[in-house]
Amino acid sequence: MPDQHIASAFDRDLEAVQAQIMKMGGMVEDAIRLAAKSLETRDEELAQKVRGADRAIDSLELQINESAARVIALRAPTAIDLRLILSVIKISGNLERIGDYAKNMAKRTGVLATLPTVNDSAGAIRRMAQAVEGMLKDALDAYIRRDAELAMDVIARDEDVDQMYNALFREFLTFMMEDPRNITACMHLHFIAKNTERMGDHVTSIAEQVVYLVTGEHPDESRPKADQTSIVAEE
Amino acid sequence: MKDTFIAEKDVDQKTVKIAARDVQVWYGDNHAIKDVNVDIEDKTVTAFIGPSGCGKSTFLRCINRMNDTIDICRVTGDIRIDGEDIYDRKVDPVQLRAKVGMVFQKPNPFPKSIYDNVAYGPRIHGLSRNKAELDEIVERALKRAAIWNEVKDRLTAPGTGLSGGQQQRLCIARAVATEPEVLLMDEPCSALDPIATAQVEELIDELRQNYSVVIVTHSMQQAARVSQKTAFFHLGHLVEFGETDKIFTAPEDERTESYITGRIG
Repeated sequence: MPDQHIASAFDRDLEAVQAQIMKMGGMVEDAIRLAAKSLETRDEELAQKVRGADRAIDSLELQINESAARVIALRAPTAIDLRLILSVIKISGNLERIGDYAKNMAKRTGVLATLPTVNDSAGAIRRMAQAVEGMLKDALDAYIRRDAELAMDVIARDEDVDQMYNALFREFLTFMMEDPRNITACMHLHFIAKNTERMGDHVTSIAEQVVYLVTGEHPDESRPKADQTSIVAEE
Repeated sequence: MKDTFIAEKDVDQKTVKIAARDVQVWYGDNHAIKDVNVDIEDKTVTAFIGPSGCGKSTFLRCINRMNDTIDICRVTGDIRIDGEDIYDRKVDPVQLRAKVGMVFQKPNPFPKSIYDNVAYGPRIHGLSRNKAELDEIVERALKRAAIWNEVKDRLTAPGTGLSGGQQQRLCIARAVATEPEVLLMDEPCSALDPIATAQVEELIDELRQNYSVVIVTHSMQQAARVSQKTAFFHLGHLVEFGETDKIFTAPEDERTESYITGRIG
């Protein structure tokens, strides 16, 4: 199929809105990386920066939705163009949520810096965040390259993130039982871990949008889910 | 038992009204329609879309044998309405066209009164025994075409004096006056303003309760709005035929996608 519309302004509109998505994606990648880094290195200044940057991410989401609404109103997109616009709206929503979770991580960094460290949990969370960031990078690459296979790979990788969260969940339980003085830190760390796991779910949703964009069909809902903490009892 | 019966009937309602098999059309040496196979359902609006010269109007005209009027036109293959071969030698094209009504691109009322425009078909087909019955037929047709209230006080005025949108609805009334089972519409809204277009589209949706409607349109948005099934024609081939929402969100064929998204192709 030819790449270009007869109305070249339509192409420019679609390119512009996709460029906004890529810009937002880059900002969210940074937010995840820097939030996790600030957590591990107890760097309040860096955390502050992450919290401040979230406003730009939020306003970009608004701009993207406005551009998408404009394309729908003026161009009445169909088929691949329609799927593109739908994916833009959903992906920007997912990115915004991920940005919020990163901001929340940076918020808790301040409190955690005043508490004793809990083993190497901050390091483990950072590794988990790195996995999510890698998934996000690949999901965005898959988006711009229209690569459904890479998107499916991203979807499959969410299982690893879930497993990391499972492991952390059990660790936190153990630490809290060992010494009640760990509870405050562990509660904060657990929220951070859970939020990071949710980031993975949002990245998965982005990857699913890529599959829909490319193939016109939503991927199977039967993807492996490895978050089993909802059935874990105290041992 | 009764429930089962209703459920079965529900499924059965989408019966095939028009079945075309291996249809070929030539205008002289020009092969205009190539191997078209399609099942058009009853009580459904089917839209034919495609670029100019793709054969959609030609195929539409095969369904009521309008192409018979063109000397150099040759149609082969099999087109059946309710299982009956419409190209059978025993079929009278005039009777066929009473069963398969047609509305054209430009409103073309006869230079007669509004009443006579609608009464023309029923008269030549002898559908009424007296004036009272004919009045009834005319009123019913004008009501069904959603124009009765606008013309009921001036039925003797010439049809050509109506506005474009009213003329088109008059032509639709004329087409439904003979109680057709299939209604063919060849770009019925291309000469109408958006309000009149909306009225005709609303009407098409109502006509679907009783007829199988086939509409040729250059407006993709119109096809999306009014039809349940869409057929995309390209260079004489029926490229893709399917549920309208599927065609407009995720078409299977690249050529369909190129056309409906307005890409060069």
